[in-house]
Amino acid sequence: MSNWEEETKGPLVTSCKQAARLISIAMERRLTLRENLTMHLHLWKCRTCTLYRHQIRLLRQAFTRHEEVLDRTPPADCECLNSLTKQRMKDALIKNQ
Amino acid sequence: MSSQKMIDGTDEKRPVIKQGPVSDPSGWVDQHGDYLFRYALMRVRNREAAENLVQETFLAALTARKSFTGRSTERTWMVGILKHKIIDTYRKSFREKSISEIQTDEEQTIDSFYDAVGNPGKYPKDWMPDPEKLLHSKEFWDILKGCLSKLPERTAAAFSMREMDDLDTAEICKELGISSTNLWVILHRARLQLRECLERNWFEKKVDNV
Repeated sequence: MSNWEEETKGPLVTSCKQAARLISIAMERRLTLRENLTMHLHLWKCRTCTLYRHQIRLLRQAFTRHEEVLDRTPPADCECLNSLTKQRMKDALIKNQ
Repeated sequence: MSSQKMIDGTDEKRPVIKQGPVSDPSGWVDQHGDYLFRYALMRVRNREAAENLVQETFLAALTARKSFTGRSTERTWMVGILKHKIIDTYRKSFREKSISEIQTDEEQTIDSFYDAVGNPGKYPKDWMPDPEKLLHSKEFWDILKGCLSKLPERTAAAFSMREMDDLDTAEICKELGISSTNLWVILHRARLQLRECLERNWFEKKVDNV
């Protein structure tokens, strides 16, 4: 569907595609009054987009807190430098001192 | 070693050597290596790239160690250096294609999630997990990282800067040389795809297992 067709439907009726875009943009900047109203009217009648919104916010929460998790959990072996690489780095530090 | 020469050689203009609060560099790899590596591994594609970034960080820290003021911890200081190195690699991934090509790519991917009238091709499942439990699950992070690495490099790069490093739009746009609209499209695509990948690889399987 072209933008033009979407516009003819009026600003307050919107597709899930358009609503999802607004949901994402709302995480980046303040929506205009019209955008905000459009989004909330859609969310009010659409369970799919309400779920979508909840889930992408959860994603943000997870990534925001990844450092805290990094600090707390002991690293798995695969997330550590192997001893050869460590030695190479130590050598490089000594050589460059 | 160049700094030694300066201390011994130039008597008349002997610089005040401020022995910064930095620890002995020979202990850095054991103290910070694994942490920096994990930090880098969250943000770049493969182990080799992460290893190189850590090594570059140590060498840059060595050169800059006199300027370390001790206002932050040594580790925070090193993470700061590493962040700059990571952003450099992100920048490179944006130079491979023109911005308009990137924008078209991202929009096409977004379109692929919807039918002609803008209904989602696949409806989200009803997963409302306990965030605390989720964040402490190693498996969840492995899958999330796997999903992130399935995005194009530049999409993942912009997303990481926004969501992991909490940089604001203006900073990211400046670093990557893109407009805010470009960035919003990229972030939207990343969210659509990550959510879908997470659902397919984690939540659907979890439900099956129960």
